[in-house]
Amino acid sequence: MFLSVSNLTKSYNTGIITHVLKGVNLEMKRGQIGVILGPSGSGKSTLMNIIGGVDSADSGTVEVDGERITGLNDKQLVEYRRESVGFVFQFYNLVPNLTVAENIEVVSNISRNPLQTDEVLSAVGLFNKKNRFPRELSGGEQQRVSIARAIVKNPKLLLCDEPTGALDLETSRGVLSLLQKVNTQFGTTILMITHNSAIAGMAHAVFRMRDGEIAEVRQNSELIQAERIEW
Amino acid sequence: MALRKRVWRIIKENKGRYIGIFILIFLGSFYFIAASGVGSSMGKLVTDFTEKNKQEDITFKTNKPLENIAALERESGALIDTYRLHDIKVPNGELRLLSPSTKVNIPAVTSGHGLKKPGDILLDPIFCKVHGLKIGDQLKLNGRTFDIVGTVAMPNYVYILKNVYEQYPPKGFGIGLISNADFKAFPKAATVYSAYMKDRENVKAKAANLNRLLSNKGYSLSEWLNAETNARIAMVRGNIEGAKTMGAPVAAAVYLLCCLILGVMIQRIVKSDGVVIGTLYAQGYRRGELVRHYMAIPVLLSAVSGLVGTLLALPVVGPVIGILTSSYNMPVTGLSFPPLSMVLGVLMPMVLLSLSSYVILRRVLKKSAAELMKGDEQKTKVNFLERKLQLERFKFATKFKLREQIRSIPRLLFLLLGVSAASMLLLLGFTVHNSFQVLMDSTGSDRYFPIETTFKEIQHGAAPKGAEPLNAIRSYLKGNEKAEFYVVGLEPNSIGITMRDSNGNNLPKNQVNITYLLAYRLGLKVGDTINIVSKVDGKSYSLKIDGIVQTYFGQYIYMPLEEFNRMTGNAPGSYLGLLSKNKLDIDENLLTGINDFHNLNEMDDTTTSTLTASVVLITIVASLAGAIIIFLVTSMMIEESRSTISLLKIFGYRGKEVAKLILNSSTPVVFIGFWLGLPLMLAVGNTLYGYLGEQINMVMPMIVNPWYVLISFVLIFAVYEVTKWLCGRKLAKISMSEVLKAGTE
Repeated sequence: MFLSVSNLTKSYNTGIITHVLKGVNLEMKRGQIGVILGPSGSGKSTLMNIIGGVDSADSGTVEVDGERITGLNDKQLVEYRRESVGFVFQFYNLVPNLTVAENIEVVSNISRNPLQTDEVLSAVGLFNKKNRFPRELSGGEQQRVSIARAIVKNPKLLLCDEPTGALDLETSRGVLSLLQKVNTQFGTTILMITHNSAIAGMAHAVFRMRDGEIAEVRQNSELIQAERIEW
Repeated sequence: MALRKRVWRIIKENKGRYIGIFILIFLGSFYFIAASGVGSSMGKLVTDFTEKNKQEDITFKTNKPLENIAALERESGALIDTYRLHDIKVPNGELRLLSPSTKVNIPAVTSGHGLKKPGDILLDPIFCKVHGLKIGDQLKLNGRTFDIVGTVAMPNYVYILKNVYEQYPPKGFGIGLISNADFKAFPKAATVYSAYMKDRENVKAKAANLNRLLSNKGYSLSEWLNAETNARIAMVRGNIEGAKTMGAPVAAAVYLLCCLILGVMIQRIVKSDGVVIGTLYAQGYRRGELVRHYMAIPVLLSAVSGLVGTLLALPVVGPVIGILTSSYNMPVTGLSFPPLSMVLGVLMPMVLLSLSSYVILRRVLKKSAAELMKGDEQKTKVNFLERKLQLERFKFATKFKLREQIRSIPRLLFLLLGVSAASMLLLLGFTVHNSFQVLMDSTGSDRYFPIETTFKEIQHGAAPKGAEPLNAIRSYLKGNEKAEFYVVGLEPNSIGITMRDSNGNNLPKNQVNITYLLAYRLGLKVGDTINIVSKVDGKSYSLKIDGIVQTYFGQYIYMPLEEFNRMTGNAPGSYLGLLSKNKLDIDENLLTGINDFHNLNEMDDTTTSTLTASVVLITIVASLAGAIIIFLVTSMMIEESRSTISLLKIFGYRGKEVAKLILNSSTPVVFIGFWLGLPLMLAVGNTLYGYLGEQINMVMPMIVNPWYVLISFVLIFAVYEVTKWLCGRKLAKISMSEVLKAGTE
């Protein structure tokens, strides 16, 4: 398995102990698109953060492409994030005073074998806007930049946290179809979290989370094209 | 109201930054109050002393004793007094004995009691300190024992210079006052006159009138010296004016820097609070209430720091006056604080900072509640400069750092100007110190024959063996009476004074040569013509400059002796002085004085230690100011880039890489700021000393020592590195979760 999560637990102590993940198990093959569905507070983001190496687990293991993430120290986690993972956020998190191209260079600057910025920009359809600042772009365009930034390092795993959460239907379709294109064109494994179950149709694997546990796992034999998604 | 609690919380959350601003405003107020207090107190001390004790307007010598002084006083409207003067060697120094005057330059006994019985002597306190003498001790002069009965201050020797063309008092030199009766033991003592104009209107014209009157009565005048160009009197006035002149601009510059940075900080708070402000508006808060809330920080900060600065400056004035009066000799009767300055010390930062904050605040508060609640204020805007910059050809790190800097122009300006100001201060301290050292080292260094013997009357015939004749007139630049110097006639084959040009080549002495110091002051170069006026007879002359003597000593124009005599109407072969390697055997009754130029280059210890202490103080203040400014900007940059830093960490940037991108972005600004400080320092130094030159005929070229520049550079960058290290710890604390939880860009 490309991604394998087993018996993952995580709790926070804020005066009261909150068990966010209660023994999560999850598996995904290389090149798949996975979607984690679930309501707010179900533990989706915590799971994704641990897989992305930005948070640590209390117990259990996470393996990505044969590398055990949960055993890595802080320095090794930095290297893991640097080389293997791409992030796409709900609110894009672009650096406001860098141009589109420069936002992509933020990541290509530290990657060992990055793709060409112009190539990635062309792939996301923003080559002619590479000198614009994020404020001068629409929400959909900003999310495209965010995707371009995530894929420029050609990551093994692309983690998307509610990538369409701040967008309207039409723009969301554009962003989702771009993710589908990245998946097919670059063979990137994508794990997406969302509370929008309509997106599940475009994923190979769907994980429904409830109260810190995987309540349901579904494999789609036929995938819906992003342009045809409705909600 | 509940909002008030927020003010404290904001201050507590960013205490490092607010402490930095507090210190900057504090330094501004402290400096302003201390400078104006010192200026005002010294001014009052000087005015009280000079008015009460009738400080001379003119001092002069004559070829024969003045007759019927009472009649002369009536005719000239002046008080004319006579006193005796005699220089006597003492171990490790020299004492100038003076006789007491009753009408002009009335002595002020500063401790002990006045002269009561024969054999009593009053000494100046600096001389006592240097020679370890105290009241009750005895002093042997010319074989006669004197009892030290007190210390004295003389209005015509406030700055105790042996010769008025010196820039600082020679080591071990001082003055002493003995009775006229005791002067009989010193038959070779010179007689000097001093005059004080009873009517204080247009003193200069009255002095010129007295000069004419005396000349018309057949007296030949020598060493005619106006108080305003007499460094013994004018030096202290120059320093007072300097303190007054530099007080307000320096403080204003510090306040303006604070306005800039506090303005940026208030803008940040108000912008990030845009939605809160909109919501409060919507809840019914009035604009005035919100203005009061957001103005609380600048008002509170400036009021407290201004007040603390003012209060702490007050007790400092006394010791500073003590230090200054240890270089000057005058009675210290009390301190004076101008009420207006004290009010300004507190109000000026408050008004400036509140005003600048209000201007920023008003822009946001003018918007409607609905507009503010949209949250547009929080979004980062791209400024004109960021938009215009074409950075494609640069590496990513360079682009990032450049953008980080130009993101906030006021912040960039604050850093640039702040570092320039700190560097300027640092360089100024070192350069003044270096210039003094160079001047001190070059004093008399051009004299192969260091002994200069000056006669009362013009001499004719051959000079004694081993001596070279010279003739001289004290002159001034036509149109600028304060620019005084000597025109000296020397034999073309003279070896007594070495003259070399800037390349180290000997200059011919059969031409007109000007010392570098004078050429620098008057802005003259080779080939220029200088129009001069003789101070003795008012005759004008023109001289074409043929060479510039590369020396930092003295303000002289040298020319061939015979040409000098022809020009000034003296008989061929006449001379007024002699240059020699050793002291000449000449009847001292014929002389006005003997100067040994090789003994002039020992600066008084008090002056040296005051200067060194000033440099140390300047270095500390400049480093502190530099550290605060860099810390404020860096911590603000980190604060503004929190989400970017968090994002970089998520993307896998290592700690050192993040620190390099964020913290090192200021390096070029600090670098440019430092080098801007150099011309700034030269401009300020030259203006300051140009002004002093105008006041007291003193020239102080800013001589930059590359080693000191290097030390300043290293110091500024050391401060920068330490500040970066401190801020780096802050950087490490920023967590990745910040951006994961962030709601917007």
